[in-house]
Amino acid sequence: MNVQVAYCSHQTTPLALRERLAFASLEQLTRAYETLRATFPKSEHVVLSTCNRVEIYAAQDESNPPLTQEQVADFLSRFHGVSQNDLGGALLWQKGPEAVRHLFEVASSLDSMVLGEPQIVSQVKEAYRVAQENDACGPLTHALFQGAMRVSGRVRSETALAVGRVSVASVAVGEFGKSIFDRFADKTVVVIGAGEMAEETLRYLKDEGAHSIVVVNRSLERAERLAAQWGGTARPFEELDTWLAQADVIVSATGAAEPIVDVKRFQAARAASDGKPVFILDLATPRDFAPAAADIDENVFLYDIEALQATCDQNRRQRVREIERARRIVEEETERFLHDIYHKATGPIISQLRAGWRKVCQDELGQLFSKYDRLDAEERKGIERTVERIVNKLLHPPLEALRDEARKGTPHGLVEALKRLFFTGQ
Amino acid sequence: MANVHVFCFFASYVVALALEGLAVARRSTALRSLGLGFAVAGLVAHTFYLVARSSAADLPPLLSSSRDWLLVLAWLAVVFDLTLSTMLSLVGRSVPMGLFLLPVVLLLIGASDLVGGATSAAMSGATDAVRRGAEERALRSWGMLHASLLVFGIAGVIIGFLLSIMYVVQHRRLKHPHDVPITLSLPSLATLARLNWWSVIISFPLLTLGMLTGIRLVYLSRHTQGPISFSDPLVVGSGLVWLLMVGFLVWLLRSDHVGGKQVALRTIWAFGLVLVTLLGLQVLFNGHTSAPVHRSAGSADPSRAAEVEEAARQ
Repeated sequence: MNVQVAYCSHQTTPLALRERLAFASLEQLTRAYETLRATFPKSEHVVLSTCNRVEIYAAQDESNPPLTQEQVADFLSRFHGVSQNDLGGALLWQKGPEAVRHLFEVASSLDSMVLGEPQIVSQVKEAYRVAQENDACGPLTHALFQGAMRVSGRVRSETALAVGRVSVASVAVGEFGKSIFDRFADKTVVVIGAGEMAEETLRYLKDEGAHSIVVVNRSLERAERLAAQWGGTARPFEELDTWLAQADVIVSATGAAEPIVDVKRFQAARAASDGKPVFILDLATPRDFAPAAADIDENVFLYDIEALQATCDQNRRQRVREIERARRIVEEETERFLHDIYHKATGPIISQLRAGWRKVCQDELGQLFSKYDRLDAEERKGIERTVERIVNKLLHPPLEALRDEARKGTPHGLVEALKRLFFTGQ
Repeated sequence: MANVHVFCFFASYVVALALEGLAVARRSTALRSLGLGFAVAGLVAHTFYLVARSSAADLPPLLSSSRDWLLVLAWLAVVFDLTLSTMLSLVGRSVPMGLFLLPVVLLLIGASDLVGGATSAAMSGATDAVRRGAEERALRSWGMLHASLLVFGIAGVIIGFLLSIMYVVQHRRLKHPHDVPITLSLPSLATLARLNWWSVIISFPLLTLGMLTGIRLVYLSRHTQGPISFSDPLVVGSGLVWLLMVGFLVWLLRSDHVGGKQVALRTIWAFGLVLVTLLGLQVLFNGHTSAPVHRSAGSADPSRAAEVEEAARQ
């Protein structure tokens, strides 16, 4: 089977080079497919280009020669204007079963920067769709990419590789926030400070529908900048107590050396509120909230960076434990895929053999029955069954040998030998 | 259909519960799907069993015996489990509802084995009686209404009870993130509180209407040979349970600033007491009754209506 992949990923290639090799826009991809088609007209192609990897899959039927690493490197070099020197050893190469396994691992997110992240499946699907739109796919790449989707689905459903979030902001919003509230659209989010971590958390909150955002900061100017960026309003630091009472979600990430909200201050804020649940993310180091503030009442849910990090680590460990199971699925599916492909290659010869032998039997039985016309229907059936059993027993060893060989690859030699031995090639 | 036994669906639910537990421990969606499959298989067998029982007794399951009535309750709990699980999975949440609901289902099926299922012999006679007169027909209709209202009301109580347990577990998980396994995914506190509130709001009127239709049954049974008494322990117990529900509802409606956890804890106590009382009364005062005996139409036992019919036949 002729399948090859040339690739560079976050594991082997620096970002600077990946950026140069990336197919950043749809127009660029369309042009790439045009060039590939013109350069390698007998080959099927799929280009997968994400921020973490650039991969070119190629496949050809048995009658056409496979592509070489140099040919693909040359294409990339010319297309992107990157010298072969710069490309150096960055472009990795796999072919045959290894190329299939590589795609299955990529689609299952086993090769991702964040193990188990779900975006890669959509990216693989999208790459396949674009390739189809550009008439770059054929029977082999169709089977290959549909197989990749199936493997990815199996890994997702049969392992916990994609379960649990692994970044602090996503854990905070996705695991804790969403376990408290149904939705964030009607919640008031108060951001204290304007740190980078607060920004990332705001992104997740916005994705969940939060739109009432108030930024409180000692520097009103910085607060205004952050508020403008996220469609919120900036308030002076003096109003902090008012907003502590009104907030449903508090994201605190100041650079203060001491806690800015002690128990007494927060108790006063809770007294001024109606006792509604409040979800506090204290992302500052040192902490902005006194830890004892969590015990003021049962509706205060306070998480500091340590608690969030511990959950991330727990999720990450859980994912790592799943790698072996995921790899087993990939292995199983790779074998199945190869078997199906090789079976398709040997299928016609098996059918030919069976049909040929059956025809000989029918001819001979016809002659026999015309000679012995006193045989009744029951006796004729008995003879037919015996002859069929003999044929099956005689055909069994060569067909088994063919199946065994097909597990290792298309058995060209054996197929040819069978054709010549049994005259099926005529 | 006639070959379906209680053991078939009981065993299916046990397997479904075990798989749900394993799925949570291993975070396996495949195990969870398999567990749901067993629950569905159990539900199908459960349905066949109730239909077969109903056909044999020529009465709806709610009227044929206390045993069938408890099995209907268990059936409703499984339907709720599967419906909510499906709805949550449609919005991308995999919540192990069965882990909470299936133990109750198994308990109800177990309890059904302890209460009387022997009324079926009298049911054909009761049906004859029904065919005979308008009064008996009215008795049967009111009996059916009484039983339906109570069974849905108690299903609401069971669901509220379980939602409150889930609330407390989720609250503990959020307050102490590393005490409860992270593999246990539950609905948000807001969802649980809302569903719990609705379970109270829906089950209370159903139970109240169930009580009122029970009083009507007492009135209808006054000319029968076995008039229903208000001093029957089932009636007294049911009345007390209803008063408890009234008290709880008043507290709930008047508590504006009470935390969700407090509401959940009180729901657990109140609904737990309701369930223990109602199921306990069933087992204690009905489980060993093979002959239909009049006690009360206002009781929590819907099969009482069938017994009334039996008395009318005599």
